[in-house]
Amino acid sequence: MSKSIAIKAIRGAHKIVTRAENELTKALKEKGPDARVEFPNTAYFLPISYGLLGMKIETLGGLTNLLEEAKKLLPPLPSETLNLPYLGHTLDAGMATLFADEIIEVIKYTREKLPYNTGTEPQNGNIWLGAANDVILRERGIEFVDGTAPGFAACVGYCPTNETAVKIARELQEKNLYVFLAAGTNGKSMAQQLQEEGIELGWKTRLVPFGDDVTACIHALGFATRAALSFGGAKPGNFREILKYNKDRIFAFILAFGPVDDEKFAQAAGAINFGFPTIADTDIDQILPTGICTYEHVVSPVLHDKIVSKAIEIRGLKITISSVPIPVPFGPAFQGERVRKEDLYVELGGQANPGFEYLYTKNLDEVEDAKIEIIGPEIDDIKEGSQIPIGIIAEVAGRNMQVDFEPILERQFHDFLNAAHGLMHVGQRDVNWIRISKEAKNAGFKFSHFGSILHAKLHHEYGKIFDKIQIRIYTEREQVLKLLDAARKAYVQRDERLAGLTDEAVDTFYSCALCQSFAPNHICIITPERSGLCGAYNWLDGKAAYEMNPSGPNQPVKKAKVIDAVKGQWQEVNDFVYLNSHKTLEIFNTYSIVEYPMTSCGCFECISCILPSTNGIMTVYREFPGMTPVGMKFSTLAGTVGGGLQTPGFIGHSKHYIGSNKFVSAEGGAKRIVWMNKDLKEMSRDILEKIGKKEGITDFYNMIADETIATTEEEVQEFLSKVSHPVLTMPAMF
Amino acid sequence: MKTIAISGKGGTGKSTLAAMMIYWLKENISKSILAVDADCNVNLNELLGVELKTTIGTIREEMKAKVNDLPGGMTKQQYLDYKIQSGLVETPDFDLIAMGCSEGPGCYCYANSLLRDILATLARNYEFMVVDNGAGMEHLSRRTTQNIDYLIMVSDPIVRGIKAAGKISRLVKDLETRVNEKYLVLSRVKDPIHPSVIECIRVEGLQLIGTIPEDNTLLASDHQGNAIWPVIKDSYAFKELDKIMVKLNVRIV
Repeated sequence: MSKSIAIKAIRGAHKIVTRAENELTKALKEKGPDARVEFPNTAYFLPISYGLLGMKIETLGGLTNLLEEAKKLLPPLPSETLNLPYLGHTLDAGMATLFADEIIEVIKYTREKLPYNTGTEPQNGNIWLGAANDVILRERGIEFVDGTAPGFAACVGYCPTNETAVKIARELQEKNLYVFLAAGTNGKSMAQQLQEEGIELGWKTRLVPFGDDVTACIHALGFATRAALSFGGAKPGNFREILKYNKDRIFAFILAFGPVDDEKFAQAAGAINFGFPTIADTDIDQILPTGICTYEHVVSPVLHDKIVSKAIEIRGLKITISSVPIPVPFGPAFQGERVRKEDLYVELGGQANPGFEYLYTKNLDEVEDAKIEIIGPEIDDIKEGSQIPIGIIAEVAGRNMQVDFEPILERQFHDFLNAAHGLMHVGQRDVNWIRISKEAKNAGFKFSHFGSILHAKLHHEYGKIFDKIQIRIYTEREQVLKLLDAARKAYVQRDERLAGLTDEAVDTFYSCALCQSFAPNHICIITPERSGLCGAYNWLDGKAAYEMNPSGPNQPVKKAKVIDAVKGQWQEVNDFVYLNSHKTLEIFNTYSIVEYPMTSCGCFECISCILPSTNGIMTVYREFPGMTPVGMKFSTLAGTVGGGLQTPGFIGHSKHYIGSNKFVSAEGGAKRIVWMNKDLKEMSRDILEKIGKKEGITDFYNMIADETIATTEEEVQEFLSKVSHPVLTMPAMF
Repeated sequence: MKTIAISGKGGTGKSTLAAMMIYWLKENISKSILAVDADCNVNLNELLGVELKTTIGTIREEMKAKVNDLPGGMTKQQYLDYKIQSGLVETPDFDLIAMGCSEGPGCYCYANSLLRDILATLARNYEFMVVDNGAGMEHLSRRTTQNIDYLIMVSDPIVRGIKAAGKISRLVKDLETRVNEKYLVLSRVKDPIHPSVIECIRVEGLQLIGTIPEDNTLLASDHQGNAIWPVIKDSYAFKELDKIMVKLNVRIV
């Protein structure tokens, strides 16, 4: 941040504190220290001083203490020659400003002529409403808590034209945000601009004019503070709790229009304490580095048509879309619907035409949220019964977006598009096929609605991962073919990257505690080369789930402080497992079946266990009902292994894990397998043949016994000698 | 969706009956019909006069052959779904899918369980599903067909045929397959039915719903290798089938 912005904010704070002191002195002289001061109908005293300092001010005399607090916080003006860190000082100056604001504003209520009307909307020509009472707080505040209103935009100054003011107010309303209007400049304000245009102001329309004075900004922050006290259960005086509640829960920001003077800079500095950034349309100094706010603190200059989306991005506000704006019914009940040829209006992609769908990441400034373009004919330009090519490109951007999430988001196209009534979607990537029924077409369904569906549903379900998405739909052959080539190259790269992902290549594993509801002491550690034992969750899923829900059942586990690289033991992983198994497991080896193996919930696809006399292991699939050479059926084995018990010699795992390079790698890997049930063996044929090839074992597949060859350990042993299974020459397992 | 399954040993005119039922349904109730040829000896399509694109068996083999080499990033479920959806024969009067021949060596459990899901989802789109089953009822026993509203067992008017129908009836009872109503249809009836046949039907506990006479128009068409579809309407057999269908009281729910 630059020194000049600090100077301006601190200078502004000095001006406002001095003004507060003058007004207080004057009021004390006129009315005496025992004169009552209050905002009407509130149980929260003066909310800023009550919330942040725990002060219960009820008299003019009490304001003297608050003024002292403001003065204490007020830093000296930064010297012109000496460079010091300014952010701390700027924040203190901001806080002092807020205290002074509150003094100035509450004194207004002691005057005979109150500058505000105390209703919920403008009356008798007075548009300014001042502090909100507790009835409004309870009625409106709950909307901030239940997410109906994600937050508010405090607009200060005035827009260059009334038209711009209306446009911006409308845009904010569309995002369900409250618009708090305060602090005009030179007698002009955005609230007046809206009124001149006949826009209805007041709490009902969410366009709330607080006051023309710069200090009226305090009513927005006062409202936010009371929300933290009443809905957040924060204790008065616990300023940390109140500020954090606001930063985490109330998605508010300040939009500054027109010139920003020292006093307004001081207000912005105060808002930063709450985690509320300022976005300005004029070229003012910026405060970019992140620290207090989620992202930047002060950003400028931003064009008027971009200012709302920029503010939303900077505040980290996630837009939720509750309904899918399409003319046909939408819901999971319509998934799996086949549009029959009889009912068909148009067919896209499929066997007759090229088609693809492709989602990738772009920079935030390259993506305009909800922009949907059709390149080529729209459905109305096409004759009934046509077959045409289709390309769907989705470009997403977000501060949390990662390339690894692209396939996860792209995979959802199928489910989402399929959920529209009259729309059939089959396949994915470059094997996709869409049919639209005559009924859907007659109801007004357009190709552009593919975009509407993807925009709404992806935001709804994956909004934590990305912030913006724009969609282009290609229906013109040349274009589709050209882009198809590029998409195919990307698919190949993507697959190679994922196939090449090894445990060594990452520094973080993910835990999975989804099953703790019925196996309370079990915790899964998912690594790139060891998927969850249920087979449902892989490392990328865990990573994406964590991004979406940082306090959810998938947590990052640092792979740090190596204890045994071969067995796969790390101190930090041990610590995590100890804590999250409720102190039942102290040590955990990722790659061993013999020593401290990973525990299981009970969802495992397969169980492997040692057949002691064979020097190898057997693996059985959960659908195999018969007896195994270890003398137990799957169900009995499951009892031994499940429920979070660490049983040396036994592990539960996914089918996929058999093919991993890390499958019991501490004991020599998959070539230890001496018996599998026949179905599993068959399902794993390719994997086993690959392992054989890698290990230089000819015909490994046929060296593994199954229930048609051996049902007891002795029979397995006999068979192993007959086929010279590699375990015969391997070191003893234990 | 209502499922009508037709079964019986080979050469009893099962497929002919299936074709006639499809014709009857499209004429009288709805053209939203999924015809499933579940007989290994695929021929329903010939009777209906359409060409098959592929069979489920072929699709399943293809998938098994390239299990680790499916088109980029596609799951097996998606691949099967795509192949089956695109393998469907579509006509203005009905859609048709053929199961194809039985499995080769190896495990088909996984493929079949996927198939079950996909076929069940597909079938939900139609008002009727008419399944021409193989004599061995393998799809019933593998439960690739499920929940049958009407099971029609077809037999020639001979004791051996009735006994075979009785076996199917018992098999269905043992399986988890849910069958609502079971009926026997005697086909290719030329002469009055022999009393020992009547007695056998009673012993086997079967319920006779009607008879289909030997019909020379249909036979001639079939013998020449032509589709019977165009000549069904005016055939004598179809008039008898009409009586059966009225008795069955098939309705869309």
